[in-house]
Amino acid sequence: MSTLASAGFWEFVGVVAGIYTILALGLQLQFGFAGLLNFGQVAFMAIGAYTMAILVVKEGWSTWLAAPLGVAAAAVGGLVLGLPTLRLRSDYFAIVTIAFSEIVRYVAMNEDALTGGSQGTIALGPVGQAAQYNGQWAQFQHRMQAWLGLPSADATMLVIVWLAALALLASAWAVLRTPWGRVLRSIREDEDAAASLGKNAFAYKLQALALGAALAGVAGLFYAWQFSYFSPDDFAPLLTFFAWMIVLLGGLGRVFAVPVGAVVFGFIFAGTRFLGFAPFSWFASDQRAYLRLIIIGLVILALVVLRPQGLLGKREEMVLE
Amino acid sequence: MTALLEIQQVVKSFGGVRAVDGAAFEVAAGSITALIGPNGAGKSTLFNCVAGSLRPDAGRIVFAGRRIDRLPTHRIARAGLVRTFQSARALARMTVLDNLLLASIGHPGERLSGLLLRPRAARAHERALRERARELLDLVGLQAHADAYAGTLSGGQRKLLDLARVLMLEPTLVLLDEPMAGVSPRLRVELLDHILALRRERGITFLIIEHDLDFVMQAAEKIVVMNEGRVIAQGDPASVQGDQAVVDAYLGTAAVHEQPAPA
Repeated sequence: MSTLASAGFWEFVGVVAGIYTILALGLQLQFGFAGLLNFGQVAFMAIGAYTMAILVVKEGWSTWLAAPLGVAAAAVGGLVLGLPTLRLRSDYFAIVTIAFSEIVRYVAMNEDALTGGSQGTIALGPVGQAAQYNGQWAQFQHRMQAWLGLPSADATMLVIVWLAALALLASAWAVLRTPWGRVLRSIREDEDAAASLGKNAFAYKLQALALGAALAGVAGLFYAWQFSYFSPDDFAPLLTFFAWMIVLLGGLGRVFAVPVGAVVFGFIFAGTRFLGFAPFSWFASDQRAYLRLIIIGLVILALVVLRPQGLLGKREEMVLE
Repeated sequence: MTALLEIQQVVKSFGGVRAVDGAAFEVAAGSITALIGPNGAGKSTLFNCVAGSLRPDAGRIVFAGRRIDRLPTHRIARAGLVRTFQSARALARMTVLDNLLLASIGHPGERLSGLLLRPRAARAHERALRERARELLDLVGLQAHADAYAGTLSGGQRKLLDLARVLMLEPTLVLLDEPMAGVSPRLRVELLDHILALRRERGITFLIIEHDLDFVMQAAEKIVVMNEGRVIAQGDPASVQGDQAVVDAYLGTAAVHEQPAPA
């Protein structure tokens, strides 16, 4: 099998795993530390990517100005979602988040003038002219490639994405072990008890939601740069659930469990396309693409039964009440 | 003695049920006041109103001269009125020490802005907090469990942890919701000693819901008896014990049990 040996393919898998790491890190912060059931994480990724692309194409902004604004827009999206809804009980909050994520996707699909509609960002510019938002990024990537002496653009992207992911992981780790992180964990454990100790649980949940949303915004930027154009369907709810699988695979409440979960997930997900033997060969290749979802599902099931704490979680934490 | 806490005609209904129906009493500064009454008398609902978990429908609650019945729980706690819960709320997946370190008001390290702008103040606060937490762990005898998950403690140990955590906040008034429930006899004695010592040495005022009447008679100088959402008697232990309304509330009214006198 030729693709199995191709470095390019695995570089691509690695880039996607790096982007998923950043996306899932936001979820780890929100759920693993603050206990927020966010099923709409992909919406913030969409907000980050679209904000950046629109500012570059329609307003002619520099990528380096538009990118932080995309992240800020995602964080503001978290605040807008959280302010009216974080007082809801956690299961109602979960329902609202998934609705929010679909609202964002449908707006992107139908506000053609703003987002290019269902055709995606290629239709952002004037009619009949394919829009490009990542020219400056491609230049930067070329310079990095020459500077680092790397063989391909994909290898360069791999290095950049993972450097960014590691920097964000390290920052998250450092912040979460401060007293601020301790308050977050107390809210995850028992919000009423935290309030009785003088903690404003709502304010902390709002901060966790906004910061996690900002991380999703960063993931959105890299997604946009990696794929040079994207459309609303790239931000379907399935992607949020990929992030959930990564967090559960790695283990809850552990920052460095996220990259482990993302790499394992990425390789299972990509690796299933090499299942060219029976019984998998009975299926057409497009059917096999769905087969991998089934396989991931079975892996999660097995994990819940055999190792509910995830790969890096602590078992003793699972049995405490 | 001046009143530290004033409950003024507080009403709280759930649907058609008036769980608290115009309850009124005062808690004197530096006292141990017990709140007793049969199940469903409205004691816990009233507690929740005082602590800010519930908002009363009518009436006023005044703490240290300030009206608190419209404040959220965390603001009331910061004002110095702290509660414990009926089932001790140990934060199970955090260590015993972390449980205590959590109980600090105005910690610069608990704010992202404080961490960025005042890292040195945050570290100094954290150091002082750790020292204080160690002292309190020694006081309640949990020092050996400092690094264990709070979820591994027994029910009685959790109550001690809960008490120590409340003390971290240096409160002026502590609300204890059934501190003796589920606690072994040995720890009961210990817990009572702690409460008496804290009142004596630190001047902390206690308002305690408790079903264990032995404990109530030993510890409290004032007893407030509630039934069906109202205060039906209050006073020192001796006078409350002899009060006919109290006997009726606990045992049912005489009329129900009256037997025809033998001829």
